[in-house]
Amino acid sequence: MAFPVLTPSARAFDSGDYPVKVYKAQSGSETRILYGDKRTNMKLQLTYANISDANAELFLDHYDEMKGSFTTFDLNSGAKGGWSGNADAIGAQGHGNNYRYEAPPQVTQVRPGISTVTVSLIGVL
Amino acid sequence: MSKVYTGRDGVLQLAGVTLAKVVSFSVQSDLETLETTTLGDGVRSYSPGVTGYSGNATLLYYKDSNNNVNTSDLLSKLIKTGTTGVSSSDTVSLTFRWVDGTDNNDITLTAYVTSASIGASTADLVRAEISFQGTGALAAATIGT
Repeated sequence: MAFPVLTPSARAFDSGDYPVKVYKAQSGSETRILYGDKRTNMKLQLTYANISDANAELFLDHYDEMKGSFTTFDLNSGAKGGWSGNADAIGAQGHGNNYRYEAPPQVTQVRPGISTVTVSLIGVL
Repeated sequence: MSKVYTGRDGVLQLAGVTLAKVVSFSVQSDLETLETTTLGDGVRSYSPGVTGYSGNATLLYYKDSNNNVNTSDLLSKLIKTGTTGVSSSDTVSLTFRWVDGTDNNDITLTAYVTSASIGASTADLVRAEISFQGTGALAAATIGT
């Protein structure tokens, strides 16, 4: 089952970082060692405001299909809808990552048949 | 026959009984809207949410020949002794009516009195002002026929 093809009403993206370890001496001098050549740990939060309960259920079904935060998956164009830049920039695959759920989807029912869903994803190698 | 309504056509009823000395009333209906605009849209879109009713009325504080005060049943829903406060049974049935001969154009709702004020000032009539919040569905809405 693919990630639901719906355009979010809000999206927040944290571009993550390269695996860097920092050693700091008592003098204050800093040594940084780069342990990898792929940026990772990017975070993507998607909000789907006031969608139908049937669509909200798609996220719950997908979360279950992915065994919660266990399985990684790629995002489709729907999740990147409204972004006019390069889709790779807010994706994970361009850096060898895939997304997995960072937290369970949060479903808030706002009236009968209408819910708001917030999905938090994290890119992992 | 065509007709423009005026204040003379307005009637406010409490539980089906016309209240005396009503100066003004207003009833308002609101629809909550849920925004469904998504990223990339250029125009906002909405889904309908829930509707509600509220309003206010002003009455002269008036005692009739039988010593009944016209505002008693409204004010007593909020201005009362005891520590119980307002309970779920403290609702009133209000009918806002615009009369056209034998035809009545009505809005009837069940409401809580959410605000009640009464005072006195030199060289002026004593007025009672109430605000209300409707609860549940309208019992009548015959304003268009």
